[in-house]
Amino acid sequence: MTQTRRSFIQTALKAGAFVSFAANAPISLLRAATAAPQRERDTVLVVLQLSGGNDGLNTVIPFADDAYHRGRPTLRQMARGAHKLDSHLAFHPRMEGFYRLYRDGLLTIVQGVGYPDMDRNHPGGMHNWHTANPRSPKTQTGWLGRAADRLWKPGEANVPAMFVGAIPQPFASNAEQVVVPSVRSPREIVSQSLPSAERDAPAKLNQSWLDSLRRATAEVQANNRRIESATSTSVRADYPQLLLAEELRATAHLIRADLGVRIFFTELGGGNIGGFDNHAGQLGNHCSLAHQLSESVAAFIRDLQRDKLHERVLLMTFSEFGRSVHENGRRGTDHGAAQPVFLAGGRLKGGLCGAHPSLTDLDKDGLKFHTDFRRVYATALDRWLGLDSRGVLGAPFEPLDVFKA
Amino acid sequence: MPTLTQQQFDPVSAWARYEPDARRPWNFALAGHLYRRAAFGATWDQLQRAFRDGPQRTVDGLLRPSADVAAFNRQYDELETPANDENSSNDLRAWWLQRMIRTPHPLLEKMTLFWHGHFGVNAAKVNSARATQQHLQLLRKHALGNFREMLAGIVRDAAMFLSLDAKANRRALPNEDLARWLMETFTLGPGRFSERDVRETARAFSGWFVLQNQIRFIERERDSETKRILGQEGRFTSDDVARILAEQPATSQTIIRKVYRWLISETAEPDDRLLAPLAESFARKQDVLQLVETMLRSNLFFSAAAYRQRMKSPVEFSLGIVKGLEEAVSTPPLAEALARLGQNLLHPPTARGWLGGQNWINHATLAGRHNLAAALLKSDGVFGGKLNPAAVAGKHDSGARFFLDLFLQGDAEPSSASDAGADARRSAYAAITLPEFQLA
Repeated sequence: MTQTRRSFIQTALKAGAFVSFAANAPISLLRAATAAPQRERDTVLVVLQLSGGNDGLNTVIPFADDAYHRGRPTLRQMARGAHKLDSHLAFHPRMEGFYRLYRDGLLTIVQGVGYPDMDRNHPGGMHNWHTANPRSPKTQTGWLGRAADRLWKPGEANVPAMFVGAIPQPFASNAEQVVVPSVRSPREIVSQSLPSAERDAPAKLNQSWLDSLRRATAEVQANNRRIESATSTSVRADYPQLLLAEELRATAHLIRADLGVRIFFTELGGGNIGGFDNHAGQLGNHCSLAHQLSESVAAFIRDLQRDKLHERVLLMTFSEFGRSVHENGRRGTDHGAAQPVFLAGGRLKGGLCGAHPSLTDLDKDGLKFHTDFRRVYATALDRWLGLDSRGVLGAPFEPLDVFKA
Repeated sequence: MPTLTQQQFDPVSAWARYEPDARRPWNFALAGHLYRRAAFGATWDQLQRAFRDGPQRTVDGLLRPSADVAAFNRQYDELETPANDENSSNDLRAWWLQRMIRTPHPLLEKMTLFWHGHFGVNAAKVNSARATQQHLQLLRKHALGNFREMLAGIVRDAAMFLSLDAKANRRALPNEDLARWLMETFTLGPGRFSERDVRETARAFSGWFVLQNQIRFIERERDSETKRILGQEGRFTSDDVARILAEQPATSQTIIRKVYRWLISETAEPDDRLLAPLAESFARKQDVLQLVETMLRSNLFFSAAAYRQRMKSPVEFSLGIVKGLEEAVSTPPLAEALARLGQNLLHPPTARGWLGGQNWINHATLAGRHNLAAALLKSDGVFGGKLNPAAVAGKHDSGARFFLDLFLQGDAEPSSASDAGADARRSAYAAITLPEFQLA
């Protein structure tokens, strides 16, 4: 190289006629703008997938119903030891956390949830809950993904939705427009220190997106500090040593950091075959999953309750289907139909929503549904996130009356 | 979105060849611009050569490189061929990234990536590494060729059928989804066809099946009756459909607008008048190379209307770093990292591909880009410490501004204190985490 780099660059870098020197807002101003939390009143939806098909009958137990005891000679839970909700229903003995939430009005059980001709295969059944469109299996986006697309505004860098967990992201959050990140811990979205973000130099480029990029870069730095400062509160909270509990602790941490995330999505059961799918020897496995569900969610709500954040949060569960009323001779149950959906949060009325489905008037040994699952989704979308559920679900569904006035 | 009108450019001069003059001089920044759009970034030497050669000669080399591209691609076709059909498509992702880094014809890979986003085939739905590979080879074969021929290949491509859940096209049960995707997304665009066109097009596909991941025609399922599609009538087959669709003016509008977004600007939508000169010749010949060539040589391409008017995709962001630092990195972890940033190669979110632009950016993906930049520069870790900013800077001249010049060609000033005297990794990191570096 005969030419030195410096002399070369002096000729080569001569700015073209179009390079503008318009001054953009210095970073210091942006920093001030992002210092104060502005999102205090935003509601947050946490969706918890129970993979494999949860046995609703051994979660919320109809102990007073003879048909339950007849159908479940080895799997039935006796009234003694179970946590009675009323004279007919009780939570599984290992679900004390749910019971306490229920007693305190922080948990609502939506009973008999499903849809016409429920798909009883795992992939098909799950896909229907993910797309919220059982009639169009080829739907290319998930209902949470569509909600995320509607929450996003061009030029704004808030993450509308986030998956928390180690498994591949389930289809429900598949979005056409926005990138829905997967994180295992809040650490993963903390960026390395940025020497450049401290720069106050005016922008040399005239580019309409550069302002939002500069703002977003400053916000990432501000978020780093928010995540940092939320750490101590979240770490002190008392969570059981369970995988779901850790994921919900991370979720609480991210909610507390106030990053503007409106939808969190997480999972219990592994996302694949297994999990809640207990065709044989169900008792021990379901017992420990029910326990994990109950105690993790309870710890999460109690954690948020400490700084009243639970009033901004609605958690909802779903599973691809319930299970057969009759056990199958291998101390397990087969794929069923309707199931209960659990809602937890500080703005709920609490209690039961809808009647327990009949155990004698069945649909191929599955419980009959009376509440379409998209009514639960519409409740979360319309009444909680303030979105137009019709746009997300493609049809109108009547929200449920589950919130306090 | 603002509209770019003839007030700024009259269509003739917009598409005329850019010849530098005193008012619009050829410079280092424009050389960087050309390499960001027509390749995946440039090395220092490439920028210098481009500066000496001028724009048109540099474009010559990008369009028609003198190296033996065919031999290079044959070698990579062999390397990436899955040992068996159950092999994960993850290997294909990694080989593709390696190809993008090492190819003597980066524009070909850039356009292959464009068509991948256009047809939006998802390997998870295809569920066959071989069929996915064949799809990718089809895209590469025609990436700078003829769109009519590409579409003729697409309508016989097993991966395409599998990805759209259309592996069985029975006479009694024509598959309208396939027809709808084809017309609405891949060719004509929304509102440019009727429901009847969809039904009749679906009938033309009857007889095509995917069996054991191979495309098959089953004669007894053929619908040999007359169909009426977009005003034409005949005993049309799927090949006829491909030809009819490729020749529609609406299709050439769709393709030109999309290539415009890819090569020129995502920030402003061009009006029809500006595109008219391109549309006319593309509608006649469907010649992609000619379209790309006209765009890359044009006054418009080298103007403020194009300069930095795109958001880098995760692929462009990461490979821009890799190319600038003159080494290849391990691509299996890179493919994973890109997936976390929203660009999981061979797995676009929907058949519409990646929408790009500001959709790429949110707090998590931006932090993720910074962390990927840091990981690429680290002297150890998953990327194996292959990139060595100090060596690259030392080779060319290690001035304090070197990385700003290499990566941003003067589009940002060094900050007062922090950059001066910092070590090479830190200076490189400072340059590639600037908001300006996110813009292509």
